Amino acid sequence: MNVLETLITEFARLPGVGRKTAQRLVYHLLQQPRERMETLAAAIAGVAERVHPCAECGQPTEDAVCDICRDPRRDAGLVCVVEEPSAVAVVERSGAFRGRYVVLGGRLSPLDGIGPDALRIDLLGRRLAGGDVREVILATNSSLEGEATATYLQQVLAGHPGVRVSRLARGLPVGGELEYVDGVTLTHALTAREELR
Amino acid sequence: MRAIDLVIRSFRNLADATLDLPESGVALVGPNGHGKTNLLEALAYPVLFRSVRGSADREVGRFGGPGFHVAVRYAAGSTVAATYFAAERRKRITLDGEEQATVSAAIGRWLAVGFFPTDLALVQGGAAERRRWLDRMLSLADRTYLDALLRYRGALAQRNAALRAADLAAADAFNPALARAGSTLASRRRDWVASAIQLWQAELAGLGELAAVTLRYKGDDALIDADAWDERLRASHQRDLARGQTHVGPHRDDLVLSLSGHTLRHYGSTGQQRSAAVALRLLELETLATARGVRPALLVDDVFAELDHDRQRRLATRLVSRPGQRIVTAPRGEDIPRELDLPRWQVQDGMIRHVLSEAA
Ligand SMILES: [Zn+2]
Repeated sequence: MNVLETLITEFARLPGVGRKTAQRLVYHLLQQPRERMETLAAAIAGVAERVHPCAECGQPTEDAVCDICRDPRRDAGLVCVVEEPSAVAVVERSGAFRGRYVVLGGRLSPLDGIGPDALRIDLLGRRLAGGDVREVILATNSSLEGEATATYLQQVLAGHPGVRVSRLARGLPVGGELEYVDGVTLTHALTAREELR
Repeated sequence: MRAIDLVIRSFRNLADATLDLPESGVALVGPNGHGKTNLLEALAYPVLFRSVRGSADREVGRFGGPGFHVAVRYAAGSTVAATYFAAERRKRITLDGEEQATVSAAIGRWLAVGFFPTDLALVQGGAAERRRWLDRMLSLADRTYLDALLRYRGALAQRNAALRAADLAAADAFNPALARAGSTLASRRRDWVASAIQLWQAELAGLGELAAVTLRYKGDDALIDADAWDERLRASHQRDLARGQTHVGPHRDDLVLSLSGHTLRHYGSTGQQRSAAVALRLLELETLATARGVRPALLVDDVFAELDHDRQRRLATRLVSRPGQRIVTAPRGEDIPRELDLPRWQVQDGMIRHVLSEAA
């Protein structure tokens, strides 16, 4: 495969991008000045090189520990568990949450070979071992797999009787992805979260 | 409800066509293997967006073709359509021209009930045949059932995959979803059976079966309560792990049909079994008509030839007694009972021609 074909194929692998769109994007790039392409290539290389999961919460960062985890004003007693980094961005935009996160990096889906070991559940364990955690909010999606992930985590949390466990429920559409929820709905869901225990 | 017109492109052996269907229905006449059943299959396709014969989509398109297209207009401005693209293995479903994100959004807008010779498997076959029939009917009758069924199948597939990976904790994480959806299925199926017994007996009596017939749902009673599932699932852990599948739930239940205290499946005569299968379809028709407030169209595929003369007459009378469009097939015109007086179309080599007058 030549480089042009390789690039089209790589674009086509991105979510929501079909082969036709990939071709259009690549031909668009070809019409841009050479520097634009070099900037894009350098940005991708830089991300590949320097960005990695935060040692404490798992969201992408260039540092060992991300800004949120380092921020002393954030409430260490409150932990919000989400599936993907994009959900952190949504919750942050709502401004309704002042605690810290655990980004699992996916959801339980045995059909796709994703068992508990493939998720960053250990990060939640480490936060709990710190002893400061009062409440864990399970903010996985309301899809079948998101619900199962929350159920699984509830079992894990059963070993920590002093911690309140709650689930984002009301106001979120069934099967809904957190990323598509607007700020108002999310703020409501966060304040009206259901206590599971 | 009736089909006003049907558009077919690259569907099985049928020539591409737009067919205006008479309001009363039509009798499709022609040699076997020339396309009569394919035409009924095309009409039934946009009910559940799958082949009523259980064929995969790639087999439904004309052999070696790019896929297929079928559209049914069932009211002014109401059209359901499906296009299958073989190369991409993709199906596009539209409602009134608007693409639908999920198949379930379009399921059951257009309603038709089919009577096929293969229906005998509903009586003679294993429990899976009857469950599939119940699931299809109740999904069309009731949106809640369809949603629960999809959720249940998803949860079951995930749970079984976790069991095969010997991860019991991950498997049990799907228990709440399984219990919620599964209890809905179990209770709705039971409710339906309780409400349908008398009609089933009446339909069979109408078809001339005078022995005492009954319909019974066979499954764990407790599972209509979602709270009962956890204990049942835990008790089944060893078995589930050993076999890599879930042994608790309505996916293992049966609908038992019996005659004078014996199962029809094992003890009925072929004639009784055929009548029982026809009665199930009539029951389906009435269930959908009641639940949806519209009468589904009838697709009757050469079932008369399989019945003796007396049963033929009785079935024809029962079909005629219900209003609605009827699309009936038979190899020859004289195979269609006189009671079903319908315009006649000839189906030959996948071509459909209106018969304007019969040769004397
Ligand atoms: Zn962090």
